[in-house]
Amino acid sequence: MKIAVLSGKGGTGKTTVATNMAFNLKGAVLVDADVEEPNSHIFIKPRVTGEKSVYKNFPLVDMDRCNLCGDCGRFCKYNAILPAKNKVLVFKEICHDCGGCEIVCKRNAISYEKREIGKIHSGKGLGDIEFIYGDLNVGEVSGVKIISELREMVSDNEVVIIDSPPGTSCASVEAVEGVDYAVVVSEPTPFGVSDMKMVVEMLENMKIPFGVVVNKAGLGNDEIYDYCSGKNIEILENIPFSEEIAKLYAVGEMMCLENSKYSHYFENIIDKISKTVK
Amino acid sequence: MDINEIVVISGKGGTGKTTLVASLVPFLENPVIADCDVDAPDLNILFGETIRESKDFVGLKRAVINEDLCTKCGLCHQKCKFNAISEDIKVSFSKCEGCSVCEYICPTGAIKMKDCVVGQVFDSETEYGPMVHARLIPGEETSGKLVSEVRKTAKALAEKTGRETIIIDGSPGIACNVIASITGVKKTVIVIEPTFSGLHDLEKVHRLVQNFSVDIMIVINKCDLSEDGLNAIENYCKEQDLEIALKIPFNKDIVKSVSERKIPSLENKEFFDGIGFAKFVEWIKKTD
Repeated sequence: MKIAVLSGKGGTGKTTVATNMAFNLKGAVLVDADVEEPNSHIFIKPRVTGEKSVYKNFPLVDMDRCNLCGDCGRFCKYNAILPAKNKVLVFKEICHDCGGCEIVCKRNAISYEKREIGKIHSGKGLGDIEFIYGDLNVGEVSGVKIISELREMVSDNEVVIIDSPPGTSCASVEAVEGVDYAVVVSEPTPFGVSDMKMVVEMLENMKIPFGVVVNKAGLGNDEIYDYCSGKNIEILENIPFSEEIAKLYAVGEMMCLENSKYSHYFENIIDKISKTVK
Repeated sequence: MDINEIVVISGKGGTGKTTLVASLVPFLENPVIADCDVDAPDLNILFGETIRESKDFVGLKRAVINEDLCTKCGLCHQKCKFNAISEDIKVSFSKCEGCSVCEYICPTGAIKMKDCVVGQVFDSETEYGPMVHARLIPGEETSGKLVSEVRKTAKALAEKTGRETIIIDGSPGIACNVIASITGVKKTVIVIEPTFSGLHDLEKVHRLVQNFSVDIMIVINKCDLSEDGLNAIENYCKEQDLEIALKIPFNKDIVKSVSERKIPSLENKEFFDGIGFAKFVEWIKKTD
């Protein structure tokens, strides 16, 4: 079973919910797919035993073969390859690695070289949690390829929790693609509700069942409850706003590990999900 | 005309970018407001939206298959590097990156690349000036391009109406949408919270911003949340020679203002005076 934890708005508590759910699910694998700004490792504190690079290709032009015909430049939809007066300029950061320039080149002048766009780390963390996380290199435009490789590293018969990126763009879609259930973490403010609506739209389009965790409950107003009851969306749990929880979060401590009185929130979430997803 | 463009970003999400931008706006002279957080736009919640004009945003083209011409030979499925065409030759729109390799190699000419609306750009009127904002259709690609479109629209509007300040609300993260929101601005404000996660994310986004020639200012929001967290952030800023321009203690009244759809700095004037907000506003306005 695969469960994605996502949010729309940033900072609502995805990482808190994902790490504590993994902690309360024996034998679960936790995947941090928020590769631009991964934070789960701060709480899980893994002993990293595996590390691999994630690569993207970019074209190399053999100038002995190239006759500067310009076909590659005309074909490239991203303006990543540009034949100039006496050489061909390649902008490797914006190349999407589609393979088009090689296909259109009539003189077989193009080959590819790989470059690293980020890394994937793996290891065991606190509570014996199996943990893998991706980390996009600074300056790279997209972490989608890393997220896709993270997904390939887990098998279908494991219980997997995926800490997803905020927002609703391509990286979020990649992280939730093919999951059995999604946990939407929101906060009871107008910003939280507005951003959550976009996530709900995305999940409905992808036909993924989901429920909502209201984090920092007690702050803000009731708009989130009105919205959820109006749309018949299940509220999995309310985690109250608490200074103690915020302080534990601040110094990178998992709340359930520090104090077992918090475990029931996550046991309840897991219990409700297991009733929905068989 | 020289336009003073200021972007507010954060690395980590939910640190208070939008609250800060909304609080700054009433103190700026004739600003254009640009909400570049296109997959979670929220400024319109506080400023209301009286939309004057909206236009469709067309991202990259997408592959469309003509079933009558397709022989299911499978070549497109094999050659697509984005796994956007399934074995039974169906295109996944969310995976197609518009490269058009499939269109080029299809032996029967069954594939055409077609324009695809992936969002909208709005030009709205607010009490404090025009606001350009956008909405990316959930699940869509090319948010970086949509951010550039918002910036372009805001700049054209500023030039047309003689406005000299553009204040930009950015997105969390470090990818194309963030890069597009920083490119070409004069000043970058990084809003961060005093947590270990906040520090980790600050380090990454700071490394990104260093690639651009901009002035950087740090704002620590909810600064009294954790002493250890605050020390960690302050030490980093000292090491990196980063100026901390503003520290905002946690205050439930700010959450209350936002919940009531009001501007925090106007609703809680005394609190903002007490933290030296006026001085921060002066730095934002400064143009030399």
